[in-house]
Amino acid sequence: MTPAWTLSSAFLGALLVLLLPVRMAAASRFIALAASLVGAVAAAAACLARLNNPAGPAWSFTRPWLPTFGINFHLAADGLALTLLLLTGIVAVAGVLFSWNVERRPRAFFAFFLTIIGGVYGVFLSRDAFLLFVCYEIVILPKYMLIAIWGSTNKEYGAMKLTMYSIGSSALILIGLVVAYAAAGGTSFDINYLASAHYAPSLQLWAFPILFLGFAVLAGIWPFHTWAPTGHVAAPTAASMLLAGVVMKLGAYGALCVALPLFPLGFAAWQPVIAGLAVIGVVYGALTALAQKDLKFVIGYSSVSHMGFVLLGIAAATHWGLRGAVLQMISHGIIAGLLFGIAGRVVYERTHTRDLNALQAFDLWRTLPGAAVAFTLATAASMGLPGFSGFVAEISVAIGLWQKFPWLVPAIAAGIVITGAFSLRALHKAFFPVRSASAAAPPPLAPLTWPEISAISLLIAVSLALGIYPKPWVVLIDDGLRSPLFHTILSQP
Amino acid sequence: MNYSELFKQLLPEAVLVVTALALLGVAVATEAKRGQPMANRLAVAIAALGVVLAALALCYVPVAADSGKSLIVIDPLARMFKGVVLALGLLAVLLPPARREIQHPGEFYALMLFALTGLLLTTGTNHLLFLFVALELASLSLYLLAGFSRGARAAEASLKYFLFGGVSAAFLLFGLSLIYGFSHSATLSGVAAALGAGPPPPLAVTGLVMVVVGICFKLAAAPFHYWAPDVYQGAPATSVALVAAASKAVGMVVLVRFLWIGFHSAAGSAAWGGMVAGWSLWLAILSAVSMILGNVLALAQTSVRRLLAYSAVANTGYLLVAMSANGKLAAGAALFYVIVYGLATLGALAVSAAVERDRGNDSPAAFAGLVHRSPWQAVALLVFLTSLAGIPPLAGFVGKFALFSAAMAESTRGGAPGLTWLVGLAAIMSAISLYYYLSVLKQAFVRDAADGESAAGFALSPAHALAVGLPAVALVVLGLFPAILLEPIARALVGSL
Repeated sequence: MTPAWTLSSAFLGALLVLLLPVRMAAASRFIALAASLVGAVAAAAACLARLNNPAGPAWSFTRPWLPTFGINFHLAADGLALTLLLLTGIVAVAGVLFSWNVERRPRAFFAFFLTIIGGVYGVFLSRDAFLLFVCYEIVILPKYMLIAIWGSTNKEYGAMKLTMYSIGSSALILIGLVVAYAAAGGTSFDINYLASAHYAPSLQLWAFPILFLGFAVLAGIWPFHTWAPTGHVAAPTAASMLLAGVVMKLGAYGALCVALPLFPLGFAAWQPVIAGLAVIGVVYGALTALAQKDLKFVIGYSSVSHMGFVLLGIAAATHWGLRGAVLQMISHGIIAGLLFGIAGRVVYERTHTRDLNALQAFDLWRTLPGAAVAFTLATAASMGLPGFSGFVAEISVAIGLWQKFPWLVPAIAAGIVITGAFSLRALHKAFFPVRSASAAAPPPLAPLTWPEISAISLLIAVSLALGIYPKPWVVLIDDGLRSPLFHTILSQP
Repeated sequence: MNYSELFKQLLPEAVLVVTALALLGVAVATEAKRGQPMANRLAVAIAALGVVLAALALCYVPVAADSGKSLIVIDPLARMFKGVVLALGLLAVLLPPARREIQHPGEFYALMLFALTGLLLTTGTNHLLFLFVALELASLSLYLLAGFSRGARAAEASLKYFLFGGVSAAFLLFGLSLIYGFSHSATLSGVAAALGAGPPPPLAVTGLVMVVVGICFKLAAAPFHYWAPDVYQGAPATSVALVAAASKAVGMVVLVRFLWIGFHSAAGSAAWGGMVAGWSLWLAILSAVSMILGNVLALAQTSVRRLLAYSAVANTGYLLVAMSANGKLAAGAALFYVIVYGLATLGALAVSAAVERDRGNDSPAAFAGLVHRSPWQAVALLVFLTSLAGIPPLAGFVGKFALFSAAMAESTRGGAPGLTWLVGLAAIMSAISLYYYLSVLKQAFVRDAADGESAAGFALSPAHALAVGLPAVALVVLGLFPAILLEPIARALVGSL
C-alpha cells in the first residue's frame, strides 16, 4: 500500500458518496468510514515501512502535467510528511465517527468532508508547488459549505469570514510562489528545485513575508487569527475537528516546508518578528480563552494558543524547535479533535447548550460520566501534563526556543500556566460543578454511543502513545528534517 | 490565388451564410402556419446544424500562411480560434432567451449566424481594412441581437450597445487610417516593416492608441465598459452568451495579432522601476483599473446578470495583465483563459436563464434552494462560479495560475520586481471576487426557497440542458488536464506570430 492510497481513497470516497442514489443516502457514512479507514491504514503502513527501512529512498511518484510551465504531478513522502498523513487519517476516522448521526443531507456532508481530507493529504504529499497550491485551495469551498449548511451560532458569518481569510491568504501564497518561480528562471515549480535556486537577498526580504504570512494566517498567527475561533464555533463538530485538527496544520506545514526553504535569508531577517508574534499568540490566546463563556470558544482560543507553539518552534528554527513544531502539530491535531468532539458532539447534542454556566445544571460528571472522564484526560493532555503528547511537544519547542531566543522562554512559561488555568476553569465549570443540595435533580442524558466511545478511545490512545513513547515519531520527523530543504535553515548559527 | 482556393479557405463561413439564408426562407414558410414553440425549435435545430457543419468544414480548410498581402490568413492561430468561436457559438445557439420567447426565431438565429460569420472572418486576417469590415459585420449583428426581445430593457441595452459600439468603431477606423497613412501599408506585417526598430513616430502612436481603445471597448475593459451591465441584463440571454464568450475570444485574438505582428517594437514596458511608454504600460494601467472597478462594483449588484457583467470587466483586467507582460507564454495563457472564461460565463448565463424562466427575475434570492429544485443545475452553477473565482480543480484556476506565473516569468529579469505590482493586485482582486460569487452560491446551496415561492423542481429543454452541461464538463476536464488545450495554443502562437 503506497501513501498514494490516502489521497485516492479520500477523493474516490467523495465521488462514490455523491453518486449514491437518494434512497441509499444512509449508506454514505459507511462509505466515508471505509474511505477514511483505508487512508489511515495506508498512512500507518507507510509509517511502519519507513521505520523499518529509514535509510532507503522515500516513496515518490511523478507524471508530467503541464510541461509548458514545468509543472509535474509530483507526490513524495518523507518521514515528516508521513507522520502528518497519519495524523490526518486518525482525525478523519474520528471525525466520521463523531458525525455518525448526521441526518440532514448526509451525502453532501460526507462528500465535502472527504474532499477536505483528500486536499489535506494532497498538501502533505505534494512536492510540486502548483500541486500543493491546488490541494491547498481545494479545501476552501468544502469548508465554507460544511460550516454554512450544517453549522450553528452565526454560521453564515463565520463561514464567510473563514473563507475570505483562507482565500486572501492563498492570494499571498500565490504571489510568493510565482515570484519564486519567475526569479528561479521560470522553468519549474518543483519545490526542491525552487528551494535550491539562489534568490537575491533584497528579493527574499520582501518575498518571504508575503509567502510566510499567507501560510501563517491559516496556522492562526496573531493578529490574523480571528477567523479561527469564529469559524470553529460556527462549524459542525466534524468540521471543527478537521479545521482545528488538520487544516490549521496545512498553514504550519507550508510555512515550515515551503516558505522557510525557499527564502532562508528572508526568514533570517524576519525571524525575531515571527517569534514575537507567536509568543503574543500563545499568551493572548490563553488569556482570551480564560474569559470565554462558550465551551467551544474556550477550545477555539486554546487552538490559537497551541498553534502559537508551532509557530514558535518554526521561528526558533533549531533542530529541537522544528521537531517540536511538528510534534506540536500532531499533538494539537489529536487533542483539538478530541476536545471539539466531546464539546460539540457528545455534550452539545444532549444538552443543547455550550454555555459554561448553563452546563452546570446538568451535573455532567454524574449524568454523563464517560464524557467527563474523557474531557478530563483531554484537558490534561492539552495542559501538557507528562505522559500525554502535549508535554513532549511543548518541552521540545521550549528547548529549541532556549537555544535561539532564551529571553522568550519565561513568556511561554506564563502561557503554559494560563493554559492550565483556563483548562481547569472550563473543566470545572462544565463537568464538575459545585451544586447546592437543594438544586433540582439534573435531567437524565442518553449514554455514550459506540461511535463516540470508539472515536474518543482512538484519540486518547494516540495522545498517550505519543506522550509515553515518542521515539518512533521523532525518528520519522528527523528523517524529514534531514531533507536538503532544511540544510540552509538548520546550518544557521 | 484563384477563386476555388478562396472558396476552400472560406468554407466554414460559406456554410454559415448558406444556413442563415436557408433559415430566413424556412422562417417565412413556417411562421404563419405553425405555433411559436415549434418554429423556435426548428430554427434552433437548423442553426445548430449549420454551426456543426461549419465546424466540420473547418477540418478541411487548408493552412494558408500570411503572404504579406493577402486579405485572409489561415495560420494555426486562426484555425484554432475559428474552432473555438464555433464551439462557443454553438453553445450560445443552444441557450434559450431568459424571459420573453423570441418573436421571429428565423431572423434571430440567422443574425446569430451572420455574427458568427463576422467573428470567424475577424480571427483570420492581418489586413487592416478587412479586419474592420469583418468586425463591423459581427458588431452590427450583435447590436440587433441585443435588442431583439423588444422589451424596454432590451431596447435600452441595444441602444447603449449601438452608441458605444459606434464610437468604438469610429476610434478603430480613425486609428487604422492613421496607421495606414503612416505606413502606406494595409497589412500588419507592412506596418511592422515601416515601424522598424527605432522609436515609433507620433502618428503611429496616435493610431495605435485609438485602435487599442477601440478593441478595449469590445473587450469591456474599464473605463470603456459602460455598455456591458445593461447589455448583460437587458438583452436576451442567447445574445449575451455570444457577446460574453465568442466575441471576447475574438477580441483577444485581434489584440494579440495587432500588438504582436504589427506593433511589437512599440511595446514599452510596465515593469516596476523601469516603465517605458508603450502598449505594455497602457494595457497594464487599463488592467489595474478594470480589475479594481469590476470587482468592487460587482460586490454591490443585486442582479446576477449585472454581476456577471462586472465580473466580465474584472476578467478582462486579468487578461490584460498577461498581455502587458509582452511574452508569448503569457499571450498563450491569456488565450487559454479567455476560452475558459467564456465557457464559465456562458454556463452561468445558462443557469441564470433557467432560474429566470422559473422565477421571473435574476436576483440572487431567486436562486434560493436551487440545490433542492434542480440539483444538477446547482452543481453546474458551482462549477461555473468557482471556476470564475479561480478555485481548483477547475479550468479557471489553471487559467489564472498560468496567467500570473507567465506574466511574472516573462516580465522579470534577474530578480527585478517586474510586474509583481500588477500580478499581486490581480491575485488579491481575484480573492475578493470569491465573495460575490459565494453570495450567489450561498443562496443556491445554503438557503431554502423563500416562503410563498414554490420549491418544486423544474426541467430544462434538451438544448438548454446541453448549454448547461457541456461547459461544466469542459471546465472540469480542462481543469484536470489543462495541457490538452494550453499546449496546442502555445504551439499555434509559435507557428503564427
